Amino acid sequence: MLDISNLCASIEGKKILKNFNLKIKAGEVHAIMGPNGSGKSTLANILSGRKGYEIEGKVSYEGSNLLEIPIEERAQKGIFLAFQYPTEIPGVNTNNFLKTSLNTIRKFRGLKELDSLDFLKLVKEKSKNLKIEEKILSRQLNVGFSGGEKKKNEILQMTILEPKLAILDETDSGLDIDALRIVSDGVNSLRNKNRSFLIITHYQRLLDYIKPDFVHVLVNGEIVKTGCSDLAEELEKDGYEGVVAAR
Amino acid sequence: MNLKFEEFQKSNPGLKELDNLRIKNFNKFQTSGFPSKRQEHWKYTDLKNIISNNFSDLRIFEDKKSLKYDEKLLIKDFEHNRIILLNGNFIESKFGFENEKKIKIKSLKNVFEDKKDFEKIKNYFNDEQNSMISLNHALVNDGIILDVEDKYLFKKPLIIYNLFNKAAENKIINNKVFIKLGQDSSLSLIDFYKCENNIKYFNNTIHNYSIEKNSTLKKFNINAGLDNSYNYNSTKVKNHSNGTFENFILSLSPNLIKNEIHCDLLENFSSCFLNGIMLLNGDQHHELKTNVNHKNENCKSSQLIKSVMLDRSNGTYQGKIYVDKSAQKTNGYQLSKALILSEKSEFNSKPELEIYADDVKCSHGSTTGNIDENSIFYLMSRGLTRDQASKMIVEGFLNEVIETITEDNIKLLILKLFLERINMVEL
Repeated sequence: MLDISNLCASIEGKKILKNFNLKIKAGEVHAIMGPNGSGKSTLANILSGRKGYEIEGKVSYEGSNLLEIPIEERAQKGIFLAFQYPTEIPGVNTNNFLKTSLNTIRKFRGLKELDSLDFLKLVKEKSKNLKIEEKILSRQLNVGFSGGEKKKNEILQMTILEPKLAILDETDSGLDIDALRIVSDGVNSLRNKNRSFLIITHYQRLLDYIKPDFVHVLVNGEIVKTGCSDLAEELEKDGYEGVVAAR
Repeated sequence: MNLKFEEFQKSNPGLKELDNLRIKNFNKFQTSGFPSKRQEHWKYTDLKNIISNNFSDLRIFEDKKSLKYDEKLLIKDFEHNRIILLNGNFIESKFGFENEKKIKIKSLKNVFEDKKDFEKIKNYFNDEQNSMISLNHALVNDGIILDVEDKYLFKKPLIIYNLFNKAAENKIINNKVFIKLGQDSSLSLIDFYKCENNIKYFNNTIHNYSIEKNSTLKKFNINAGLDNSYNYNSTKVKNHSNGTFENFILSLSPNLIKNEIHCDLLENFSSCFLNGIMLLNGDQHHELKTNVNHKNENCKSSQLIKSVMLDRSNGTYQGKIYVDKSAQKTNGYQLSKALILSEKSEFNSKPELEIYADDVKCSHGSTTGNIDENSIFYLMSRGLTRDQASKMIVEGFLNEVIETITEDNIKLLILKLFLERINMVEL
């Protein structure tokens, strides 16, 4: 589904990703762990199309060159980024936004657009499953949301938009245990043989709830180690330095 | 510029007293002409220049009263009372939802022929604030006086339709509206401007309102279909004890408008709320100048203006709060936020606070900027195109002010007009 080869990225001359390689097949869950400043968020930004990076290398998504696909088309083609810091947008009603987003994506997929009634029904069902209070959706997009509410909103959007490749950028940071469970329930409920996940995190904690197929350790813009989910526990025990030193 | 005042006078004979006031005011206008940027309050709207660039032969509107207006210009599916002014002339009023005994309406034409009636408004002709006001006094040909009795609450909104047609082309139209709201009364008033076929004209209008004790006047200015027009619109409000004046401005379409709102909070516990939005494109030039005068204790005022500038448009907000030394316990607030979405557009914001009392809470703020790229990215990463994303952000930005409207039906009407407009412009 996703094939990243020799990806180098820098910002204002500073190299962040160095010959980064990663293959994700349909149905796989990959976790990327790494210390602060290792390039995790840069990877998420590049995959979702944020500008401002000088990029070399290849990223292929479903056989086409992802780097040439405009931001909105990436979303329409099934890439979803759960933001580390979801943006507050005053005056924009969350429900209206989400309906526009869903219908744009449905249209692209050749599905019928949902009217308000069907949309609200869908939202009600999804938010109930995730135990998210529906009323946050009638508020302005992320405005005045607590950290936990923002992250839950991201997960709710993810379950409604049903992406093919979901990238979670430190969705677990700053969450309490209950919110963490909501986030992981959201991911687990979406897991299937066609959908892939790239989960970026600092801590092993989230991976107790979401069992990844692969764990990669990213240090200084390079993957220094890849393993199965046990690697996360090893990291928790020995720290990034320990794992890197034992390489 | 050659306004033929003598001819106008000949065809509009009236009371001697009025005639003298007209002459005095026309002379006053002639000494200074149209206001130019040399005058402090016209710094951002150089009317002299604008008129000479756009009207090669501006004439005084000839008073051939046409009664036929295009009914298609009226608002449908919205229950309301109405007053129709066509090219400034009073045509008809319908108060189908109200107890008509409680409402008195007179055309100014009739008032100008009746010494006793004229006596009641003649003091207004001494207002010499600027040369546009003087010109209006000199050339006013019609308008209305509306009196609402004590203890009368309007059941449905009243729309004053200011309609303009072909007869107004290249003319300057001067009219006046007087509204007096008796004690313990309330009225929601929509001041609605629309013209046929994009004609070019200049409308110079003065509104004078008096809000008596415990009364509420909610006014909504809607400039939604005036694409090629030029306007100076001055509103002066006298607000008495515990009276409330709310004014919402939807400024969308004229080529030029300078809107002035002067509100005197004369007695204690009176309040004034001035909110509005501007969405300008092309070469539109809109200025809003407000002047809230706190003249007594415990009064409250609040202003929230949001503007979006596209293309080569030019917007200005000059908001003043004056607090008299006797106006203790004043609570005054104003905020202006503008988005400038094109390099060639311009927005000027000039907050002014003049405070002579010492126990006062007054604050103001002003921001001007662009759409936040992070917000655009967030929305685009959810599949929206850049255009959809910008529109959603701009809509949300302005919608916050529409949300402050306390009358639900009117809010929906304004929202509808606003959405029609925003779907027409290219961001």
